[in-house]
Amino acid sequence: MADKEATVYIVDLGESMADCHNGRKESDLDFGMRYVWDKITTTVAASRKTWTVGVVGLNTEETNNAQDREGLEGYEHISVLQDIGPMTMSSLRELRSSIQPSYSSGGDAISAIVVAVSMIEEFTKKLKYHRKIILVTNGESPIDDDSSEEVAERLNDVNIELVVIGVDFDDPDYGFKEEDKSSLKAKNENILRKLVDQCKNGVFGTMAQAVEELAVPRIKPVRPFKAYDGPLTLGDPSKYESAISIHVERYFKTKRAVPPPASTVVIGPDYGVPSQSQTIDGDVEMGGTEFSGVKYMRSYKVNDPDAPGGKRDVDFDDLAKGYQYGRTVVPFSESDMSITKLETKKSFTILGFVPFSSYDPFINMGETGIIVAQKHNEQAELALSAFIHALHELESYAVARYVQKDLAQPQILLLKPNPGIEDEFECLYDVPLPFAEDVRSYQFPPLDKVLTVTGSILKEHRLLPSDDLKQAMSDFVDSMDLSNFGEDEEGKPAEYAPIDDSYNPVIHRINQAIRARAVDPEAPLEPPAEILLRYSKPPEKLIDKAKPDIEALIDAAEVKKVPAKAQGRRGRKEAVKPLSGLDVDSLLGERKRTNISMENSIPEFKQTLATATDDATVEKAVKQMGEIICKLIQDSFADLLYARAAENLLVMREELISLEFPALYNKFLTALKKSLLSGELNGDRREMWFKYIVGGHLGLITQSESGASEVTEEEAKAFAR
Amino acid sequence: MAGADEDERPPESDEGEEELDETDYKTQKDAVLFAIDVSASMLQEPASAGQKKAEKDSAIAAALKCAYQFMQQRIIAQPRDMMGILLFGTEKSKFRDESGGRSGTGYPHCYLFTDLDVPAAEDVKKLKALVEEGEDPDGVLVPAKEPVSMANVLFCANQVFTTNASNFGSRRLFIITDNDSPHGKDNTAKSSAAVRAKDLYDLGVVIELFPISHGSKPFDISKFYDDIIYRDPTAEEGSPDVVKTSSSGDGLSLLNSLISNINSKQTPKRAYFSNLHFELAPGLTISVKGYMPLHRQQPARTCYVWLGGEKAQLAQSETIKVDSATRTVDKSEIKKAYKLGGEYIHFKPEEAAALKSSMGGKVLRIIGFKPRSMLPMWASVKKSIFIFPSEEHYVGSTRVFSALWQKLLKDDKVGIAWFVARENANPVMVAIIPSRNPNGETQYLPTGLWLYPLPFADDVRNVDLAAPPRPADELTDKMREIVQNLQLPKAMYNPLKYPNPSLQWHYKILQAMALDEDTPDSLEDPTIPKYRQIDKRVGGYMAEWKELLEEKARELMKSRATKREAEDDDDGRLAKRSKPAAAKKAGGQMSNAQLKLAYEQDTLKKMTVAELKDIMVIKGLSTAGKKADLLERLGEWIEENA
Repeated sequence: MADKEATVYIVDLGESMADCHNGRKESDLDFGMRYVWDKITTTVAASRKTWTVGVVGLNTEETNNAQDREGLEGYEHISVLQDIGPMTMSSLRELRSSIQPSYSSGGDAISAIVVAVSMIEEFTKKLKYHRKIILVTNGESPIDDDSSEEVAERLNDVNIELVVIGVDFDDPDYGFKEEDKSSLKAKNENILRKLVDQCKNGVFGTMAQAVEELAVPRIKPVRPFKAYDGPLTLGDPSKYESAISIHVERYFKTKRAVPPPASTVVIGPDYGVPSQSQTIDGDVEMGGTEFSGVKYMRSYKVNDPDAPGGKRDVDFDDLAKGYQYGRTVVPFSESDMSITKLETKKSFTILGFVPFSSYDPFINMGETGIIVAQKHNEQAELALSAFIHALHELESYAVARYVQKDLAQPQILLLKPNPGIEDEFECLYDVPLPFAEDVRSYQFPPLDKVLTVTGSILKEHRLLPSDDLKQAMSDFVDSMDLSNFGEDEEGKPAEYAPIDDSYNPVIHRINQAIRARAVDPEAPLEPPAEILLRYSKPPEKLIDKAKPDIEALIDAAEVKKVPAKAQGRRGRKEAVKPLSGLDVDSLLGERKRTNISMENSIPEFKQTLATATDDATVEKAVKQMGEIICKLIQDSFADLLYARAAENLLVMREELISLEFPALYNKFLTALKKSLLSGELNGDRREMWFKYIVGGHLGLITQSESGASEVTEEEAKAFAR
Repeated sequence: MAGADEDERPPESDEGEEELDETDYKTQKDAVLFAIDVSASMLQEPASAGQKKAEKDSAIAAALKCAYQFMQQRIIAQPRDMMGILLFGTEKSKFRDESGGRSGTGYPHCYLFTDLDVPAAEDVKKLKALVEEGEDPDGVLVPAKEPVSMANVLFCANQVFTTNASNFGSRRLFIITDNDSPHGKDNTAKSSAAVRAKDLYDLGVVIELFPISHGSKPFDISKFYDDIIYRDPTAEEGSPDVVKTSSSGDGLSLLNSLISNINSKQTPKRAYFSNLHFELAPGLTISVKGYMPLHRQQPARTCYVWLGGEKAQLAQSETIKVDSATRTVDKSEIKKAYKLGGEYIHFKPEEAAALKSSMGGKVLRIIGFKPRSMLPMWASVKKSIFIFPSEEHYVGSTRVFSALWQKLLKDDKVGIAWFVARENANPVMVAIIPSRNPNGETQYLPTGLWLYPLPFADDVRNVDLAAPPRPADELTDKMREIVQNLQLPKAMYNPLKYPNPSLQWHYKILQAMALDEDTPDSLEDPTIPKYRQIDKRVGGYMAEWKELLEEKARELMKSRATKREAEDDDDGRLAKRSKPAAAKKAGGQMSNAQLKLAYEQDTLKKMTVAELKDIMVIKGLSTAGKKADLLERLGEWIEENA
C-alpha cells in the first residue's frame, strides 16, 4: 500500500485526567487511552514502516519541545514523548511507561497542536502523506485562543486533519450532554470546536462515542486487485471473422479474509538475556522477546529390508523430484517437471448460455469476481452493456472458460448479469463452477417419500412429516422472517443481518485480544465484543413474537432425544440379518467354535461374544484375542502388521465397551504397553505404542466411555505417554 | 503489495485439514475389491444382429473395462485408496505367490488378478493389456468345469481385506456376476456362503452386488444374494439398498449401464461431520450429518524420489522441529504466538483455548428466514456442504427436516444460520438452501438442504469502479438473438460433461511415463468451446451485431469528444495543456491509449513515483522496486496490453 501516514497523538496528562468522572470507574486518562491505544496498536499490527506515529504529552511536569527551546512563550508543560517514526512493540512499551498523569495543568492545548504541526511539517516535508493530529483531552486546563485562526490556517496549508476527542464533551448528534459542566471546560470546548470548524479537514467528538465505536470491527481495506485485463470472446477471433471480442477487466468481489496466523514458537535459547528495556519498577520486561520461531528440519527415509527397523536415511542431494501415479513413483528431471502442466494461453471465452432456473448457488466452488468493460474503451463499454442487458432480459447466465494468465489452470466460470438497476453499477459477476472430477455422487433416499424393500412407495411414515407438522413448520418459518426485522439508518424496517453488518468473529476476536495484550501483557482476556456474536442466536424479540408458532412446531414435531446409553448399544438388541432375514447366527451355531483363529479373528471374536452366555467365555475370547495381537506384533517386520494388530485391538476395545467389561481391556492394554516398551515383542515396538495405540485413540477405557470403568480421564492421559 | 499474494488462488490448504474428522480414528481410506465372475455366459460374445448400435462387449469385457476405468479414476481422485481384482470361477487358481499362509489351492477357482493395494503402474498396464488388447497370456479367462464355492470366494476376499486393508475406514467388495443362483438348491453350500458373508459383515466389509441380466431373464436376488447382502450400516434410515441390474437395451450398452451403476459407488460416502445438532428454534433440536459432494480436485503434489536403488522409491520425509540454535524441541515446549510489530504476542494455552471456545461449540442454529432473492448474486466465498437428517440422536429428525425442506422449497425461502462444523472450527454464517426435487436440473447432486457459506463483511472487496448503468438498446436486442441460439445442451451446465483439463493432462502424461508409453501431444478438452458450431449457428448475427457496435461506438466517442472539448475550453484558460502532457493527467485516470502515447513519446519517466504507482496498482502490477523498475514493468505491460 503506497499511502504514507504521519499521525501525532496529543494526550492530555494533566492532573485532572487522573480523576474519574460521570460514574466511570476508570480515570479520564485510562478512558481516553482506550481509544489511543487501540489506534496505536492497530498501527503496530499493520507493521508498515510508512505509517508513522508521534506522541505529545500535554500538561506534563517537564517541558520538552522545540518551540520552547527556541524561547517562544506559551509552550510550557508540553513534552514530545515520541518523535514521529514507525511504531514498534518496543516503542509501545516505552510509551506505556510515559503515559502517566502528572501533577501539573499549565499546558495549552493549542500550543500543543502547534508543536505537533511542526513535527509533522519537519518529518513529512513536501512528500505525499496522510497527515493527522489527534488531540485527547478533558478540557480542564485553560486554553488561549488568540492564535486559533492562525493555527487553523496553518493546518489547512499543510493539509493536516485535526481530530479532537474530548472526555465528556457535549455532542448533540451523539446525544451526550454533561450536566454541571465547569465554565472553564465549557469555554474550552467551545474554543476547540471553533478551531475544528475552521479546519478544512476536522473532526470533533466525544470520547464515549469514540470508545463505543472501537467495538465495531474495522475492516482492513484492500485495494481492488485486477485479476484479468483482456478480451472476453464469443467464438474464436483468430479463426472466425464473426467472433466477438470484448475487452474486459476482472476484479475480485469476494475474497476470504483469514484470521491472523499463529506462529509456532519456543522459549528461545538466549532466554534470560533481555534485549529490551526494563520497566520502571526494574522488572525484566517480558514483552514476548524471549520467544523464537520454530524451524523445521526435514530428513528423508526409504525402505530398506536390510536396515534395522526396515528403513534408512538418505541424503537429500540423492533425491529427485517426482509424482506419484498410484503407488508407482515417477521421477522427473528438473527440466521435465513442467511437462505435466497443461499449456494454456491467457483467455476468457464463452461456452454457451443457460437459463437462471437451471442454476443453484450451492454449486459455486468459491469466490466471486466482477467484470467490467475496459476503461475509456467506448466499444467495450457498449458491447458489455448490451451483453449484460441481453442476459438479464433472457434470464440467462453465460458459462465461460477462464485462463487467468498463460499456463494458469483453466476454470469454468458462471457469468451473472447485473444491469445495475438497484446499485447503479452495471457489471457481470462470476463464480467458479465444478468440473466433473469435483463432483462425488453420493446417494440419499428421497425426503418426501419412503421406499420399502419391496419397492412400494409410502407417503405416510414416521420419517415423513404429517400435515400438522407441515403446517406448523410453515407458520414457524413465516413468523421467523428476517427480511423486515432489522432497521436501516433512518430507523425504517430493513433486512436483518445483511452481509455488511456481519463481521468475521474470529478475526476480530483475535485481533482485539492481541491488541489488548500488546498494551498490557498482564491483563486477563476480555470477553468477545457483543457485536461479534450478535448473529449467533436468533434475535430475542423475534423469538418472543414467534413463541406460539415455535411451541406449536415443537408439539407437532414430537422429537425425542435418544438417551446417551442407547446410542452406544444401538443395534445390539436385535441380531443383524441379511436382506433375506436369514438367521445366520443359528447357522453359525453349527460351526462349533472353540478357538479364535488368527486369519479370521475379528468376525470370530465378535461372533463368540455375541453368543457368549457366561463371563468365562468372554474372558477366554479376550485372552485369545490378546494372544493374537501380541503374535501379530511379534511377527511384524518393521511396521507391516501394526495396522492389523491395531484393528484387532480396536475391535476388542469397542466390543468390551458395549459389553461393559472395560476392566478386561484395560488389564490387557496395561500388560501390552509393558511388553511393547520393554522390547519383549521381538525388538523395538515403540512405534506401535505411540503411533498406533496412542495416536489411534486406543488407550484405556475411561469412565466417560463406560460407566463400569474405574479409570479417570487424567489416569488415561497419564497412561498414554 | 496487493498483487503478489493474490495472484494465485491458494489450494484450499486449510480445508484438507478439515476433511479429516479427528474423532474418527479409523484411517479414512477406502479399499475396493472387484470380484468378477468368469463363466461361459459371462464370456458369451453378444450376437451381432447387424444393428447399428449392436452390443460389442461380452459381460466379462464390460466388467473388466469398468474395473479399468475405475482404477484410472481412483488414481486421480483417490490416490491413497486401494483396489484389487479377484476373478472367480476360473479354471486356474491363484492367491498370493509370496504369501506364506495359504497356497493357491486354498481357494480353488479363485484367481487374484490384481492384489488389493494402491494401484501401481504395472497393475494398470496388465489390466489395460487384458482389456484393450485382449492379451491373456496366462489363460485366466477360462471358466472352470466345476462350479466355484461362493463360501470360498467370500473367504478369499475376507483374507485379502484382513491382510491388505487393515484398519481401513471403508472396505467394499464389488461382485459382478450374471448368475443369480450359483448353488442352485444346494443348501449346504448356500449356508456356508451365508456364514462367510456374515464374517465379512463382522469384519466391516460392505458387499455391493452388480448383477448383469441377459435379455429378458431378470436377475433374481432372492434366490441367493439376499442371504449374502446386508444393509449398509452407514446408510440413512428409510433407504433400502436397491440393487440395480445392468443389462443391455434401451439404447444403452451393457458397458454404459454397468459403468453408471458402478460410478455411483465410486466414492464411499464419507461424512464430513456427523450428529451435528441442528437448532431450528429454542427448544427444537434435531441431528444432521454433513457431506461434501463438491470438492475441488487438484493434481497431486510433487514428491521426492530416491534413485539410489534398483527401483525408484518414494522417500518419506520426517520433520523435526528445532529452535534457532537447531536444538530439537519437544512438543511440550511449543507455544503459539501472534506476531505484532516484529515481536511475538503470546497467549497461555488455556487463553488460546478460551479465544476459540468463546465462540461457542459446534452447532447449526437458525436465526431466521429470508426470501431466496435476498441473497446477493455475488455472495459466494466457498463450496457448500450438504446436510441430511440422522435419527441417531433425535428420533423424529427426519420428518422435521423434511417439513423444513418442503416449506423452503415451496416458498422459495432460505434459512439464515450460525454454523460451527466441529469443536474449535471457525464459525460462519450460512444460508440453508433446499435443493430442488430430484427431477430438477441439478440431478447430479442429492436432494436435501445445503449450507451455503455467506461472506462476512471482511470478505467483500470494495470494488470502486465507475460503471454506470446504460439503457438497453438495439445492441441488446441483437445480442438476444445470439444468446438464445447458443444454449448449452439440455439448457444446463452439467459438470459431469466437463473434466478438468489440467488434471486430465497431468495424469495422462504421468500415466504415459509410468507405463513407458509415448506421451500424448494433445488432449481432448470439452471445456474448449465448439467454435465452428458457434460460427455456424450465430455467425451471421454476430457479424451484424459487430457492425452496429462499431457504429454506436463511433457515435459515443464523438459525443464524448464534443463534451470534452467543451470542458477543456472551460479550464483551458487556467492551464494550457501541452501536447504530450497526457502523462500529467492524474495517473489513475489515464486510458490505455493515453498510456501508450506517453510510452511512445517517452514521457512516462516525467511522472512521479507516486503517480506511477497509482497507475500500476490499478493495472494490477507490482509496485516494488525503484523508479527504473517501475518504468520497465509498466512499459512491458503497455506493450502487451495497450
